[in-house]
Amino acid sequence: MNVNRRFVLKGMALSGIAGLAMGGSLRALAGTAATANDASTGGHPVVALANEGAVELAFLHGAMKASGSRLRVQRVSRDLAFMLDFERQVRSRQATRIIGLLDDASATLVVAMARSAGARVQWLGQHTAEAGFTRHHLLTTELAEGCSRQLSRHLHACGAGFSLNEERHNGSMAPRQLTGPACSGNQSAQWAASIGHLLASLGARPALATPLAPATSKPVTGRFASFSIAA
Amino acid sequence: MSVQNDAILPKGVSRKEFDKAIKKFRALLGEENVLVKADQLVPYNKIMMPVENAAHAPSAALTATTVEQIQGVVKICNAHRIPIWTISTGRNFGYGSAAPVARGQVILDLKKMNKIISIDPVMCTALVEPGVTYGQLYDHIEEHDLPLMLSFSAPSAIAGPVGNTMDRGVGYTPYGEHLMMQCGMEVVLANGDVYRTGMGGVEGSNTWQIFKWGYGPTLDGMFTQANYGITTKMGFWLMPKPPVFKPFEVIFENEADIVEIVDLLRPLRMSGTIPNSVVIANILWEASSGNVRRSAYTSEPGRTPDLVLEKIQGDTGMGAWNLYAALYGTQEQVDVNWKIVSDVFEKHGKGRIVTQEEAGDTQPFKYRAELMSGVPNLQEFGLYNWRGGGGSMWFAPVSEARGSECQKQAALAKGILHKHGLDYVAEFIVAPRDMHHVIDVLFDRTNDEESKRADACFNELLDEFEKEGYAVYRVNTRFQERVAQSYGPIKRDVEHAIKRALDPNNILAPGRSGIDLDTYKKT
Repeated sequence: MNVNRRFVLKGMALSGIAGLAMGGSLRALAGTAATANDASTGGHPVVALANEGAVELAFLHGAMKASGSRLRVQRVSRDLAFMLDFERQVRSRQATRIIGLLDDASATLVVAMARSAGARVQWLGQHTAEAGFTRHHLLTTELAEGCSRQLSRHLHACGAGFSLNEERHNGSMAPRQLTGPACSGNQSAQWAASIGHLLASLGARPALATPLAPATSKPVTGRFASFSIAA
Repeated sequence: MSVQNDAILPKGVSRKEFDKAIKKFRALLGEENVLVKADQLVPYNKIMMPVENAAHAPSAALTATTVEQIQGVVKICNAHRIPIWTISTGRNFGYGSAAPVARGQVILDLKKMNKIISIDPVMCTALVEPGVTYGQLYDHIEEHDLPLMLSFSAPSAIAGPVGNTMDRGVGYTPYGEHLMMQCGMEVVLANGDVYRTGMGGVEGSNTWQIFKWGYGPTLDGMFTQANYGITTKMGFWLMPKPPVFKPFEVIFENEADIVEIVDLLRPLRMSGTIPNSVVIANILWEASSGNVRRSAYTSEPGRTPDLVLEKIQGDTGMGAWNLYAALYGTQEQVDVNWKIVSDVFEKHGKGRIVTQEEAGDTQPFKYRAELMSGVPNLQEFGLYNWRGGGGSMWFAPVSEARGSECQKQAALAKGILHKHGLDYVAEFIVAPRDMHHVIDVLFDRTNDEESKRADACFNELLDEFEKEGYAVYRVNTRFQERVAQSYGPIKRDVEHAIKRALDPNNILAPGRSGIDLDTYKKT
């Protein structure tokens, strides 16, 4: 099996996993969301890179609400063949946006390969989710104008405490620092759904209400990195 | 340490002057090779250091494809006093990534100069451009079935020999001291001259990649970790692929065993019985590169308790120290050396020897064996998932290959890291006489308080090691000026005298290794 084929199959496999994990609702959701939101994302395909896990599924949930049927999901492997193939795909793709929420190691490699492939990056995020509190460090461009405010509104709404630091490359404004106190014991992955929704909507008209993340029985914690890459 | 995030320009350069330079760069290189938009520059600005990205944000990035274009670039830079920061593949993750040492510097990205100019399978030499990756070389060697073996650092396929060698990186094979295996450089100087080292200046010479020294002063080393020129070609030696390769691991249960490990190992390295750059990885390096995550064991902030480390050892069978080495040669040679080596460790009695047959495809043995045999992989990036959060700085002091010294350094580093609530994640890379004691200072960049601690920790590591007469051999861009101070004023005076002679306008990577005509004051 050549690497290209493996790349696609892995994507399909993750779609399957996502569907299973969420009772099949994800595919159905993508179909219905397409009708409402196709126009809002500018019509370009969006590829979401993700792995298994509650946070990643919440991210995909949010992304699908924004992108609908144009969202393709690809599972990420940290192995060399995947990364070299990813670089080739980015180099050869036209007008595709790649978004993702991954572990630090995978995201470091994805962004490094995107750079060598000559891609543009509008958003780099580091995220930490601890019990009842999340922290976010963003490096963004003008395309992401308003996103940090919107994210903070979502985080306020879901009741989790948070801190958010945004740097704008080459922007005229000082780094933005936003914080919010915890006002409920909420430990959901709502923040990930919000980021998925925001990234899938980048460059389109402002996203409306963020879809609620699927309920989880366990606290969702961990450290992740997000990105938006234009191939 | 806050930096106002308004429009990015090189230090001391006006917008008008900068725009004039950009216009000339576009005329020289073409519009598509002059990157000034924010979303083109963000990927160059992904740093892992405990400081705002703004402190290392480039004002532009250029990509060049020929030596003539680079000559044109330096001409423009001289005319407009534009500082440029050159990268080859930019995969120097824990040492500063692709970002420049100072805000506003223009990145000169040589990734498109990626020709393998020659590989001679008889003389076992290569000549390459700076954008060539180890992955390209590996594919070339495999496709042409050449009896050669590469040596590279852990990012392997996605990094390249020119960048790694110019930063004096090391690999894990018998050719692991990369600068020692380098032979012949072509360098564009700040005045646009093209200088070839060694035999490269002799018309019609066929020994440029054969004989390192040439005639008169030998200057190759002067261009490494420096800002005296832009390397556009580099030659190096390749190891003939041995008929037999035998990797092995020796697992030691106790942290205190490091003294005996090193003292047993040194004679084997000096005699060449074990010919490669041996690694001795501690439990946290071993565990994280074997895909173990801290979150699976504890969610407590601060350094990971010893009890947890013991639990990881118990669960995984990993040691407090894990030694990886290999034997190379004919079956007869390997058999003889294996008897010598295994006798040493069996007689000592504390280490558990693991062979490739026993390890199978388990990690981290598999990736270590691959690195020692020139097969690329990305397994070691698992380090970044140990704690997560995107912060990483390599602290890499040099140590004598003497057990008591290694123990002293390990204890000193561990104490400082723990004081700051961070983990001691370390490996020793063992040469016959020296060891690179490489520590990955991992921290969470989303946590301002932890970032400040990591920064303070790194400063304290530098200070306390210096008091004991130790210094690092390489460091990330945030601390290059600080480390230059460790090496004393006379060395710095000489380095700046050379800089004044070769680059009086200070256009080439000012600040690299602390060499900067604008800021340095002779003591």
